[in-house]
Amino acid sequence: MSPPVIGALGIAALFALLFARIPVWAVLSIIGFAGNYILGGAPAAFALAGTKPFDAASAYTLSVIPLFVLMGEVASETRLSSDLFKAARISLSGIRGGLLVAAIAASGCFGAVCGSSVATAATMTRIALPEMRKAGYDDGLAAGSIAAGGSLGILIPPSIILVIYAAIAEQSVPRLFAASLFPGLVLTGLYILVALFVSSYRPDAAPAAERLPLRVRLAALAGPWQFLALFVTTIGGIYAGIFSPTEAAAIGAFGAIVLGFSGRRFTWLKLMLAIENAVVTSCLLFAIIIGANLFAVFMVQTHLPDLLASGAEALNLPGPAIMALIIVAYIVIGCFLEGIGMVLITVPVFLPLVMEYGYDPVWFAIIVVVVVEVGLIHPPVGMNLFVIQAQAPDLKITDIYLGILPFLIAPLILIVILFALPELALWLPAVLYD
Amino acid sequence: MTREPAATSDGTSALAYRLADRLQRAQMRLAAVALVVMMLVTVVDVILRYLFNSPVHGSYEIVEAMLVVFVFHGLAAGFFRRANIVIDVIDHMAGPRLVMALVRLADTLSVVVLVIFAWAMLGQAIQAYEYGDRKLELALPIYVLWIAALAGMAGTILCAVVTCVWVDARARSGR
Repeated sequence: MSPPVIGALGIAALFALLFARIPVWAVLSIIGFAGNYILGGAPAAFALAGTKPFDAASAYTLSVIPLFVLMGEVASETRLSSDLFKAARISLSGIRGGLLVAAIAASGCFGAVCGSSVATAATMTRIALPEMRKAGYDDGLAAGSIAAGGSLGILIPPSIILVIYAAIAEQSVPRLFAASLFPGLVLTGLYILVALFVSSYRPDAAPAAERLPLRVRLAALAGPWQFLALFVTTIGGIYAGIFSPTEAAAIGAFGAIVLGFSGRRFTWLKLMLAIENAVVTSCLLFAIIIGANLFAVFMVQTHLPDLLASGAEALNLPGPAIMALIIVAYIVIGCFLEGIGMVLITVPVFLPLVMEYGYDPVWFAIIVVVVVEVGLIHPPVGMNLFVIQAQAPDLKITDIYLGILPFLIAPLILIVILFALPELALWLPAVLYD
Repeated sequence: MTREPAATSDGTSALAYRLADRLQRAQMRLAAVALVVMMLVTVVDVILRYLFNSPVHGSYEIVEAMLVVFVFHGLAAGFFRRANIVIDVIDHMAGPRLVMALVRLADTLSVVVLVIFAWAMLGQAIQAYEYGDRKLELALPIYVLWIAALAGMAGTILCAVVTCVWVDARARSGR
């Protein structure tokens, strides 16, 4: 059997095991180890199985993961998210659909310090949904805005998924964080436009609140200053070249703890809980990264990415057509796989093909994250939709499905913009680092 | 919080569960300390570097060493809590018996993979001891980190085995 055939069988087995409820880390490890055993022999397979876990767990660059996860956990335990929503709600008062916009804007900001879409969606559901229901908003539309806003957490830096992409694709984390800023802002803007459009189209679903005086609305913006302090220090520090990503993450985590205690919004018990959650979340991410490293070596040995590239060439397909096929593949896979697993499984296969066609791996990272975002919110299995329903069990899932539909157009428009204008992602990294 | 298997008829299983619970708590504390040390060392390093032009000696290596402790000891709690990411689409399509069988298969495969990793890492650890390599700035022998990693793996394997057995015990007791 030729290596590409073994590779194809390996991928088929991988999906079979994933659907058989085997944990993602174990599937990647089993297929990676077995593939390396078949193609490289027992000594090579055991050498890789012995070194890859230790290499991943002693890589300074990966220490950014637990530290950013800790920052997000601490931020989730404080009242930062409610401060953000309150500020957005007051400053947007008087606008029809203002609470939808407030939920999206607050989610985008909270995602910027949290880095997790699921955590952002869960937190904002607790804060924003009751207020929207009280104000007479349609349940589905309210949930849709929270799900969409929550998905911004993985695009707006710092993003754990971009750190993981950087590790698997050997890219610079600061460069990826710089590339994701403007697409993140544009996507936030697109979600807001969708919310405003739906509000004007369905005024009964999104009533306008009483307009507060300008002085009050402006004063409200000063409320969540902790968010601004954390974001400017961490991401601003990375952009300015003052801190490495690990340093920024450590300072962000430490700063979040200090701000939490100084504002009396944090207790030792909450700190312990945040640390425990950060330990479990991060270590299981490391297990997946270790498995993905083994799987990536297997993929290289199969020459499957080369075969895909030559197959695409033989079909005479232009670059955009290949990219369109890859994006469709991601959207389909996103129906079944969660984001990080999807990135770790697919990037070793698709990235060589994408680079063969002359696309920038940094630009591709942003495309991948946007498509993962689509996977988080598209019915029937978008993770954010279930997270919202878990927080508000009386919400009907069918209402949530209907509510999210108009928002799905926004990431698709962003993908088109990224194709037409790659500079949206590539301009800032070039200015900062070239 | 994971519940103790109080209703299990298997006393050995309950004892192993309590032992694993204590172990994962201890390993969790160790991982938590490592995380806090990583954070504080990096913060102090940045402050000293920018204010006094005197960074913490070997801060990178301290972070790397703590990361080893963090990852391999934190895994135990993740396995004990069954917090691994799984694609559970089949839960909505299959009956409870099939799902339980798949859970047991997943647990067994997880243990097998962990044992393969531990076995393969043992060989690398012995090599590190024989070569006597050290960290450049701290002069810390690399094999010390391998010992920490293997100790963490041992605890993780125990936790994975116990959760595996506990499922069996629950299945036998009809829960």
